[in-house]
Amino acid sequence: MRIALVGNQNSGKTTLFNLLTGTNQKVGNWPGVTIERKIGIIRGTDYELVDLPGIYSLSPYSLEENISRRFLFEEHVDLILNIIDATSIERSLYLTTQLLELNIPMVIALNMMDIADKRGIKFDMDTLEQRLDTTILPISALKKTNVFNLIQTIKNKDYRQNHYQHIYDHVLESAITQLEPRVDTKHSRFLSIKVIERDPLFVDYMTTEIEDLISELEKKYQRDMEQVIADERYRYIELIRDEAVFAKKDLMTTTDKLDNIFLNRYLAIPIFIVIMFGVYYLAAGPIGGWTVELVDGLVGQFSDVMRTFLENVNASPWAMSLVVDGMIAGVGAIFNFLPQLIILFVLISLLETTGYMARIAFFLDRIFVKVGLSGKSLIPFIVGSGCSVPAIMSARTINDETEKKMTIMLTPFIPCSAKLPIITLFAGYFFGDRSGLVSASLYFLAIFIILLSAYVMKNILFKGKTSSFILELPEYKLPSFRYIWFDVTGKALAFIERAGSIILLASMVVWFFISFNFRMQYGVDVNESILAGLGRLISWIFYPMLGEMSWAASISAIQGLVAKEQVVGSMAIIAGFGSDVSEGRLIFNSGIFGFFTASSAYAFMVFNLFSAPCFGAIGAMRQELGTTKRMWKAVLFQTGLAWILAVLVFQIGRLLEVIL
Amino acid sequence: MKWFGKKNVGEKIVLSQLKKGQRAKVVQLNTEDRALRRRLLDMGITVGVQVIIKKIAPLGDPIDIALRGYELCLRKADMDLIDVEVMS
Repeated sequence: MRIALVGNQNSGKTTLFNLLTGTNQKVGNWPGVTIERKIGIIRGTDYELVDLPGIYSLSPYSLEENISRRFLFEEHVDLILNIIDATSIERSLYLTTQLLELNIPMVIALNMMDIADKRGIKFDMDTLEQRLDTTILPISALKKTNVFNLIQTIKNKDYRQNHYQHIYDHVLESAITQLEPRVDTKHSRFLSIKVIERDPLFVDYMTTEIEDLISELEKKYQRDMEQVIADERYRYIELIRDEAVFAKKDLMTTTDKLDNIFLNRYLAIPIFIVIMFGVYYLAAGPIGGWTVELVDGLVGQFSDVMRTFLENVNASPWAMSLVVDGMIAGVGAIFNFLPQLIILFVLISLLETTGYMARIAFFLDRIFVKVGLSGKSLIPFIVGSGCSVPAIMSARTINDETEKKMTIMLTPFIPCSAKLPIITLFAGYFFGDRSGLVSASLYFLAIFIILLSAYVMKNILFKGKTSSFILELPEYKLPSFRYIWFDVTGKALAFIERAGSIILLASMVVWFFISFNFRMQYGVDVNESILAGLGRLISWIFYPMLGEMSWAASISAIQGLVAKEQVVGSMAIIAGFGSDVSEGRLIFNSGIFGFFTASSAYAFMVFNLFSAPCFGAIGAMRQELGTTKRMWKAVLFQTGLAWILAVLVFQIGRLLEVIL
Repeated sequence: MKWFGKKNVGEKIVLSQLKKGQRAKVVQLNTEDRALRRRLLDMGITVGVQVIIKKIAPLGDPIDIALRGYELCLRKADMDLIDVEVMS
């Protein structure tokens, strides 16, 4: 049996999906978290549950709605599980009235009953069920109330076989009845209504006869039918509301009180800056830096233990070198940053689940629209400080194509968590007490460059376009610790997995290339190694931003394509070759990286920040931009801009160093 | 100075002219972009619906309106095309 989970954005759909299937999908408190359909098996059954993107309607104009509509229409679905937000039932039922027109059985889960209760919203369930002729179960996915009953109802097929209720006035109803036999499909009622609406996807059904029928209707109503049908649906919903929903008079809710502060005319933007600054200061500043040193000590001890152990078992020198100088040095350098990434993940997760994210989109829209982006671009940008891949995918919620493409191209500029090790390493060593400030400055530089690039693109490429902005403002919610826990551990595990697979492999490759020369002789001087030879091929590219022909820095920067943290891993292996180092002090005291100055350090950070993202993110760009050509354009644009910026930073920095 | 002040009850204006806290009834949608108009209809902005101006973004645009028991943010430019009748 296949069940489709359908509901509005932000209706708790993903929370319910996780609860029913036991997997942990991403949950957030901003509209549009589910961007692709996901499939799970309902616990204790063999029923397949398909999580469709959150939608408000089955209209033809947005990607998500089309995905959902096509799925329901073309694929075999045995049951629709429609999830409804009990606190905004009117708008939710609009989608329900459309789903009921499909010839598919349906069960409604009336979600967020706990919040509705608190707000004094009462429901007459019997009337509600009768009016829609559908089984309705009140639940709370967050509090896990009544979800077991929901599973039982589905399992025992203990639900009403809904018969279609006549919701339109008799003129419209009789027109639909006339049309139904002429559009003979399984979903003839749904289709008839779409034809009457003049839905562009169903023009094939239009005959002169049907055209006459619709024109006649339009004359009667004095309006176009798309509008009439929407009006009629809401009229019926209002009727149900008056009969079955009892709400108290509008009160000043907690959300309103909080918004008086967070959306205050004078305070909103300062509060936003303080919050974002706080997030990065905690993660990339002194506290994050302290955790790095803590773990580094542990890794150092582990490295010593391993060396002694390998000496005791008489391991060959090359094997010992591979383990200690290659694997532990490379992977260990990455592990140092795990606690600080966890801090970042927790803070971003908090922003996502509380509902503040939608507010940011709301109050910064004015600024973003000036440069050709949407306030909604903010969501990918903030998600992107964790990882660019989900961030690029979340750009799908932006309705306008141009805004969406620009957002996808610019999202990788935001320092993702894998770039954090690079920033912490360089900022911590070269800027000491001001490392927090320097890290934050990079984030603000990223935002500035994003706005500037967007502005230039808008004025050159997409001149004179206008777009609109429609966003539901959700209520504030207390963060659920259960989900923050799952979200953060999931991301942390992914990071560890990457360190144990890709980074480990890359470290071994780097070790091999640094231990051998082109004649395959082991134990050569690092400057004679294969790695040095490869690095020298490209070191001229980096000369203008480093002031030094450094094969070591060049070859490390290139490895950012594998994963950005690999830049640090590679530097640790190269610097520490022959001794066990993975810490900034030792990396930069080694002869090979000794040339770095404050300005070349900042320039190198800037290059790694803005240049092409890792292969994973490039793949996501390819998928979302639609063509390989566009992907290449984006990658070349990013890398070119990164080079120009880094060179500018270095040259200006060097000038300042001379003057001061 | 009527333009700057609170609009009078019964007056026919466009949605973006309402002040914070004012309530009005939608009279007509003049939106020409079909996709946008459909989206507005889907979100419940149909003829006769009551809306109230809840929050205005710190920079003056967009504006958050409450209708049908939830809140929706719209840009002023899009609200210019929605005719309303002031209720309070």
